Amino acid sequence: MQTFAWLILALPLAGSLITALGYKLWPGRLPGVIGTVAIAAAFVCTVLTLIKLQDLDPEHRQVLFVGWDYAATFGVDAEISILIDPLSLFMALVVTGVSTLIHLYSISYMWSDKGYARFFSYLNFFVVSMLVLVLAGNFLLLIVGWAFVGAASYLLISFWYRRTTATRAGIKAFVINVVGDIGLILGTYFIFRNSGTLDFFGTFQQAGSLPEGDLTAGCILLLVGAFAKSAQIPLHTWLPDAMEGPTPVSALIHAATMVTAGVYLIARMWPLFEHAPAAADVGAVIGAITLLVAATIGLVVTDLKRVIAYSTMSQIGYMIMAVSAGAYAAGLFHLMTHAFFKALLFMAAGSVIAAMAGEQNLDRMGGFRKAMPFTFACFVIGGLSLSGVPPFSGFFSKDEIIALMGERGGWHWILFVAGYVGSFITAVYTWRMIFRAFWGEPVAEALELQRGHLHHAEVHRNPATGEEEDTDVGFPGSEHHIAEREWPMKGAMIVLAVGATALGVLQLPFHTTDVVDNFLEPTFRGSKYFGALDPSDGFTTIGLVIGAVLGVAGIAIAYRIWVQKPGTSARVQARFAGLHRLFANKWYFDDLIDVVVVRPFGWFGRFGQQTFERVFVQGTLVGGTTSIVRAGSAAVRAMQSGLLRAYAALLVLGALVVVFYFLAQS
Amino acid sequence: MTIHLSLLLWLPTIAGLIGALLGRRQAGGVALVGAALALAYAIVAVTRFKSGGGLQFVTDEPWISALGTRWKLGADGLNLFLVLLTTVSFTASTAWAARKGGYDRPRVFFFWMGLAHSAVLGALLAQDLLLFTVFFDLMLVPFLFLTGMFGGEDRVRAVVRLFIYTLVGSLLMLAAAIAFAVLAAGDQPISFVFSDLAARGPIANGSQNWIFLCFAAAFLIKMPAFPFQGWMPDGYLNMPLPVLAVFSGVLSKVAAYGFLKICLPFFPHASAHFQTLVLLIALASILYGSAMAFTTTNTRLVLGYSSVAQLGFIVLGIFSLRPEGAQGALLQAVNHGLVVVPAFFIVGLLAARAGSDDLRDMGAGALRAPVLAALFLVVALATLAMPGSSNFAGEFLILLGVFRAKIVIAIVAFAGVAMASVYMLRMFIRAVHNPAGAGMESLELSAGDGLILVPLVLTIVALALYPQVALVRSERAVGAAVAAVGTGPVQSATAARLAESGGAP
Repeated sequence: MQTFAWLILALPLAGSLITALGYKLWPGRLPGVIGTVAIAAAFVCTVLTLIKLQDLDPEHRQVLFVGWDYAATFGVDAEISILIDPLSLFMALVVTGVSTLIHLYSISYMWSDKGYARFFSYLNFFVVSMLVLVLAGNFLLLIVGWAFVGAASYLLISFWYRRTTATRAGIKAFVINVVGDIGLILGTYFIFRNSGTLDFFGTFQQAGSLPEGDLTAGCILLLVGAFAKSAQIPLHTWLPDAMEGPTPVSALIHAATMVTAGVYLIARMWPLFEHAPAAADVGAVIGAITLLVAATIGLVVTDLKRVIAYSTMSQIGYMIMAVSAGAYAAGLFHLMTHAFFKALLFMAAGSVIAAMAGEQNLDRMGGFRKAMPFTFACFVIGGLSLSGVPPFSGFFSKDEIIALMGERGGWHWILFVAGYVGSFITAVYTWRMIFRAFWGEPVAEALELQRGHLHHAEVHRNPATGEEEDTDVGFPGSEHHIAEREWPMKGAMIVLAVGATALGVLQLPFHTTDVVDNFLEPTFRGSKYFGALDPSDGFTTIGLVIGAVLGVAGIAIAYRIWVQKPGTSARVQARFAGLHRLFANKWYFDDLIDVVVVRPFGWFGRFGQQTFERVFVQGTLVGGTTSIVRAGSAAVRAMQSGLLRAYAALLVLGALVVVFYFLAQS
Repeated sequence: MTIHLSLLLWLPTIAGLIGALLGRRQAGGVALVGAALALAYAIVAVTRFKSGGGLQFVTDEPWISALGTRWKLGADGLNLFLVLLTTVSFTASTAWAARKGGYDRPRVFFFWMGLAHSAVLGALLAQDLLLFTVFFDLMLVPFLFLTGMFGGEDRVRAVVRLFIYTLVGSLLMLAAAIAFAVLAAGDQPISFVFSDLAARGPIANGSQNWIFLCFAAAFLIKMPAFPFQGWMPDGYLNMPLPVLAVFSGVLSKVAAYGFLKICLPFFPHASAHFQTLVLLIALASILYGSAMAFTTTNTRLVLGYSSVAQLGFIVLGIFSLRPEGAQGALLQAVNHGLVVVPAFFIVGLLAARAGSDDLRDMGAGALRAPVLAALFLVVALATLAMPGSSNFAGEFLILLGVFRAKIVIAIVAFAGVAMASVYMLRMFIRAVHNPAGAGMESLELSAGDGLILVPLVLTIVALALYPQVALVRSERAVGAAVAAVGTGPVQSATAARLAESGGAP
């Protein structure tokens, strides 16, 4: 098992290095194939590790492998160790599984990009990072994985690095993620100063005896890390901008895997959070707020990928709410189903964007139903699953979360209601997007495609600003690829579509199937909530019915607004102008951060640069000292004639004077 | 094979001299051979170093017996990796200078480089306070000449400022060193040897305080720390690039080393007394340096101010007065030297392609130069202490130490961590990403430049995988230095003596 476990990490790393180092050597699509095979092999190793793990008794299914001492000194037990248990393997399976499919998709999708090898190298590097994050056996390695995925995300967001919009989005994502890293590090400090160990097991064993103040502070700071990575309010503003990256990146990193790291973190730290209920409540409330706020923004955004990005934020809000409130298996189950249907939606969106030759604005789209039947079908499956329509997988996972919120009782009823409200809005914005892209009058690009010709733009423009761009290195190439014509794209999407449709069978209501619950049980042994939260059959039934009704109602309303009566949308906007402005300006979070954080720092820097340095340091300190030796400096101007030597001599002389002074005194 | 530290120390100077005698065309090559031999010798020393063994490879000869000072050199956990860093930095810089050429008096240039190398090694290896002081001052002389003779447009102003600032520090330190030896001697004959000073125990608290302040001033100016950085902008803008690389990479570390080697063990009362003051200076350096680094557009100054901030972290770790913090600080000293040298080279290459040091003239440097951009990326991420780099291991330990000692300072210092990511990425993006500047021409790294840069970057990566290699060797010495402060004046002498003799009491 140990060999396989380490191979899970080693294979994508090797893939990343091989594609990077051979960037000039590998012909054609070979870098894509190497990258995909490396991840597929890591997936196989994960499965093999899983099989070995399941051979063990349930109480022994938590295995720690220690690699080497990393920075261990004076009681800081910083070592390289990986933890194999049901939770880490669950995450590793999702990560490697979905990654393999997205790599496969990218073989075609990215083919005409000049940075083909670079793309796969980054993408493989991301997978290594994510696997380090989920397999880490102690806080230090967790932080390393945490930061590595941030770096990989940065590299891929600014993949088209000559676009200033992309590089700006990249640095924004990186810096907000560093804020998250800092939260994670400080949280670790608060816990470490009491527990005296960085090891997860060692810490968890002491969870009950840690002082409550430090534990709560530590857990809240861990949440800061989770919020930054998982794009929860108020650290979410980087995620919509991250859509500057190529679409497979959005599918893999900014939907299926990296952004769910916060969910994993809270689930992993369950022994700490159960002893710090105040921190857990903060997580649950922020999750609920995020799911609502993001959903409302999703209603008004016109950029196709940004709609899905806000949807991701919102869905992760559900998961964060779930794991913070003790619904661990439900949150993780939703993480898995979401990975499938959201990746599918992004892939389908990528296909549409390719057909539009890079254009992402929903206002410019329409009528792609006939031109792209396969993409359309995938979009519909993903959309139904996201809207929570039975029997698609999203229906079961989302309703389980909401039911468990009701089961917690007390003020968690508010979360229960928020969950259903969000669920309704989700259906509306999802189908707004689908109706606007696929229904209505076909646009020129769609008609061209119906005649069998894929549109390629003559002049490349930045989809965000409309600026003209050349197609040299660093920009998407002249060719675009759609799922209808490329089997790797098609194959990957079919697998995801099947998953998005049918994964619900793993965990059907009324304990019909309990695969996820049973599998994860060893990790959560001893938890107050795991297994204990068990809604009655009647309650579950009511919940399922409400969920289904809300989903279908949302779709119906979207149909009425955007298909049946196309003018309705404008009328609603005019009627609720204030609300629309609030949503369209993304609840003013960007502006708030700008005023509170960015501008003060910039002001401080400029003050230092223009005033303090010039007047105080150079003027007073340097000027004052310099004027004392003005006579000397006049001589130094003739230094090349050898006066510097005199200075050096003066240095020695001065030293000697002092020596003698003290010798005389003693 | 016995390690002769005197040989290691003088090798670069001897090579510089031979090169100068041989002629213009040989000077660079011979100097490079000398530096590389010193590097090889230092590597041998590291491999033969016994991790728990105290002071090793001791050379102890009479020097100026009238003054009570001896030619005593030795390697312990504190200086071992700094010596290695010094030889690495000087070898790389000498190679860079020899390759780029273009200095009108190469014989003089490489002689001064060799002497600078020796002086730094001397300051690090000295086990005698006066010897340390002499080498500490001697370090400056070659840099004054290198800047004054081979520097940029404003070299005169740069030299004057550098000279005045460091002269003030040097004189203070010299006075303090002598006063300390005299006070410590009491009725006994004066001795500057560290082990004698340690054995004589700490001096009266009042004297400790002002002597400590003199040393601290000298070290803080050399780093430079806020608000002593007035010489830095002119110096950084006008030094020849290879000279600047070693200056920034190594000289500031000697100052940090001085705190650990001298201030903590010999002035334990004063170190504890002034802990908060020094921590606040360090914190101000971090915040001010970072804010300056993300507003300046000159690449050399970005690195210069980032060094101010990074040195702030190092001082923070030392004055956490906790062993893990000091361990982190020492590791970070090595890390910072290792990243800043290639960073200056890369920035120099990009400046050559853009025709200017200014970020506004750069852009899209990665276009035809993926290897250069990749190397830059590794260096930039290591500099901003991304977790997974050795710089992070250092920073993690530093901040953990400060967190345990003064929690508020640690929390504020984390702002510097976030700002580091802003200024390094900003420089990276504006230099090699974004649309190209007017005069910018993207060219790939040449094989010769790669031969120098790639090993440096691989060293960063190797240390990132296993920072333990440095930590395990410095643990004992750092522990002793910090214990001197922590356990009060009486036991501190024992602890310091323990560190010196390497045996149990």
